[in-house]
Amino acid sequence: MSLARFIERLLQLIPVLLGVSAIVFVMITLTPGDPVEIMIGDQIVTPEQEEALRRDLGLDRPMLERFGLFLGNAVQGDFGESFYHRRPVAEVIAERLPATIELSLVALLVALFTAIPLGVLAAIKKNSIFDRMATVGSLLGVSLPGFWFGILLLMLFAVHLQILPVSGRIGFSSEIEPITHFLLIDTLLRGRPDAFLDALSHIILPAITLGLPMTAILMRVTRTSMLEVLRQDYITFAEAKGLSRHRILWRHALKNALIPTVSVAAIETGSLLGGNMIVETVFGWPGLGRLVVESIFVRNYPLVQAAVLFYAVTYVLLNFIADILYTVLNPRVKL
Amino acid sequence: MKTMSRLLAVSVLAMATAAPIANAQDLIVGFTQDAATLDPGNHRNRETETIIRNMFDGILTRDSAMSIQPELAASYTQVSPTVYDFKIREGVKFHDGSNMTAEDVKFTLDRLTREGAMGNDQTSPRKSLLGPIESVEVTDATTVRVTLSEPWPLLPAMLPFQEIVSKNFVETVGTEGMATQANGTGPFKLVDWRKGDSIIMERFDDYYGGADGIQPAGKACVDRAIFKIIPESASRVAALLAGDVHIINELPPFAVEQVKNSQTADVMTVNGTRSFFIAMNLEGETFDDIQVRQAVAHALDKDLIIDRILGGNAASISGILSPDAFGKNTDLPEYSYDPEKARALLAEAGFPDGIEVTMDTTGAFKDTAEAVASLLTRAGINTKVAVGEAAILNEKWRTQGGPKEGDMYFTSWGNGSLDPQGIFVPTHVTNARGNSAGYSSDKVDALLDAAATEVDREKRAAMYQEAEAIANADLPYVYLWVPQDIYGVSKRLSGWQPSPDSRINLHDACLN
Repeated sequence: MSLARFIERLLQLIPVLLGVSAIVFVMITLTPGDPVEIMIGDQIVTPEQEEALRRDLGLDRPMLERFGLFLGNAVQGDFGESFYHRRPVAEVIAERLPATIELSLVALLVALFTAIPLGVLAAIKKNSIFDRMATVGSLLGVSLPGFWFGILLLMLFAVHLQILPVSGRIGFSSEIEPITHFLLIDTLLRGRPDAFLDALSHIILPAITLGLPMTAILMRVTRTSMLEVLRQDYITFAEAKGLSRHRILWRHALKNALIPTVSVAAIETGSLLGGNMIVETVFGWPGLGRLVVESIFVRNYPLVQAAVLFYAVTYVLLNFIADILYTVLNPRVKL
Repeated sequence: MKTMSRLLAVSVLAMATAAPIANAQDLIVGFTQDAATLDPGNHRNRETETIIRNMFDGILTRDSAMSIQPELAASYTQVSPTVYDFKIREGVKFHDGSNMTAEDVKFTLDRLTREGAMGNDQTSPRKSLLGPIESVEVTDATTVRVTLSEPWPLLPAMLPFQEIVSKNFVETVGTEGMATQANGTGPFKLVDWRKGDSIIMERFDDYYGGADGIQPAGKACVDRAIFKIIPESASRVAALLAGDVHIINELPPFAVEQVKNSQTADVMTVNGTRSFFIAMNLEGETFDDIQVRQAVAHALDKDLIIDRILGGNAASISGILSPDAFGKNTDLPEYSYDPEKARALLAEAGFPDGIEVTMDTTGAFKDTAEAVASLLTRAGINTKVAVGEAAILNEKWRTQGGPKEGDMYFTSWGNGSLDPQGIFVPTHVTNARGNSAGYSSDKVDALLDAAATEVDREKRAAMYQEAEAIANADLPYVYLWVPQDIYGVSKRLSGWQPSPDSRINLHDACLN
């Protein structure tokens, strides 16, 4: 891909982001519910005190002016101050992001490492018992509510067997000075294998819960596209040439069969990176999804706006990355 | 592939042994919500207060029976209806080793009550919690004088909610720094705040010991106290049963038996401070008739719901105030459960075939509201439950005098100070913030207004009792119950008591 094309793709981001900002701003501002009322809660307050609070949050200004201010500041990387935390929104989001990214990546790995082999096997052994079990399994995987499945895992592994912890990212005896803020990496960089295992034991259940529906989807996608590829002429040709089955499957068929898997995985990763409110709540995982949902409930406008912008950027970028991966996997495709 | 599987095997083995690790003296609380900030002056959030109150002490505090005790004050006196003198304790240290002085107390109260005192032209969101404070002066090295612009008997009840900060520290780190750093005088000092995950605190060895009126005084019992954030109740219960945490708040009533039957944990309850009630829209064409409102009251078997749905963990009320509140009228007439009478009242009001109404409520109370609705329906008040989000329902119902739609609202109001002012005024005064029913009574308005500034405790209590009797007769709300706060606690825990104001004070808690 040429540099000009790359820059063009990046420039396309600008109208997308402007549109997203405007929609989010209007939607959250028009949603019933008043951040000041929520903040005051069950307390007596004089109208003057209420007005003062409104002024301090900048909510006394007209909507258009607030939107202009938000855009003007956002361009400079300033997303305002969280009403609830009374700190810059960017800082609050940045604190929660590593936990979400770490969990998403581990869930993605869990999904890829189980879905691809299972999907390929199901395709090769089409209509066998294994294939049918895998199909039923994937149906279950998509349909099981994460909330229920997570609690089930907790009851089994944490309460009954007591081999895994219930919640959090790492135990309290493992204090790790952050470097990358990804605990699985930091613990290794600091030379603390005990803390690494501690962190691993914390991430395993949420990653499985989060990765399960994705595993199921990816497995079905891989199976279908593998079946399709195996019917192609060049596979028959390769077989006729006398190439080993192993070589045909893993080298010739899989590479082409993976193209749809990659694009679905990229899109699914986008939703993983948004943080998963349910998994993060069940496992007390300090990620972005929980933060954003809590912020919506208290009408924490600045945080919700910034987070949605972040989601939009992530989605666009991941689609972009998927496009590039396409060209790598299939040189005939041009961007 | 071989290395991979070997690695996997090693990991699984190690995890099996590495799992829940906690120091013997780490007391861990499984808690619903993270703190919003560590700055005691810059939030309006009960959970934040519960957490940081372990690192910061106040001028006054409450014991587990909710009576007010001097904490950082050695004593206090009311000099006149508008002037209070607080004698400040000597020898109290902040966590950074500096001495706490009367200047710090003045600085804290100024920061909370003065316009623009938080910096950047911002005023503390807690200002309205301190009512009409006009000025705070240091009259001698250990005395702080608080002057009010009008009499406000609530001051001592509200001061336990305000924590003292160090003047020097605030001036050094600024309000920005205060959000993530804590330098209080409390029994624990901050070690680490893993945001969204936990707040880790350790014992402050130079602690002065806490309020004299709350024994045992002295340093905290455990080495470290940790608030671990677990928002989901089923996971909190799992963490308690697995021994990962030692106290959990908001134990759901459905898990009470499970915890009681476990080998490792038990249940503790304490009277809460949140009154539940059903607001009836007095502007509507159905509930403007008192007979219809009385019919609702008679159609409800409160004891049945308390017993079956709330697991017996609630106290029935016939007025807005909780049984523990100051000025509670204990002789209020009870609207007994009598569905026949309810039908008769409806018929008298011109609805011989009953009425069709909708009751709004939030998701958290759907089950209870459904139970209420089925009882009402049995008595001819055909009730449909509509679930909505709190922010939206409050906007619909709390119109402060503006026109409102809707029939009934199953809702609640908290009153951590246990002073009637905090709950009676906002829910019953004409056009007040929380007056969802749209109630207006000149007599009640006058009584509550006079009581707000009445200094004579007995006279003041009598005024609230009279107001409660009037409201009980006018019946703008069906007063339901005050649920108990339910905690799950490890059997290893001792020395800890739940507190009605939902504080979790870990100072005296020990682990065996």
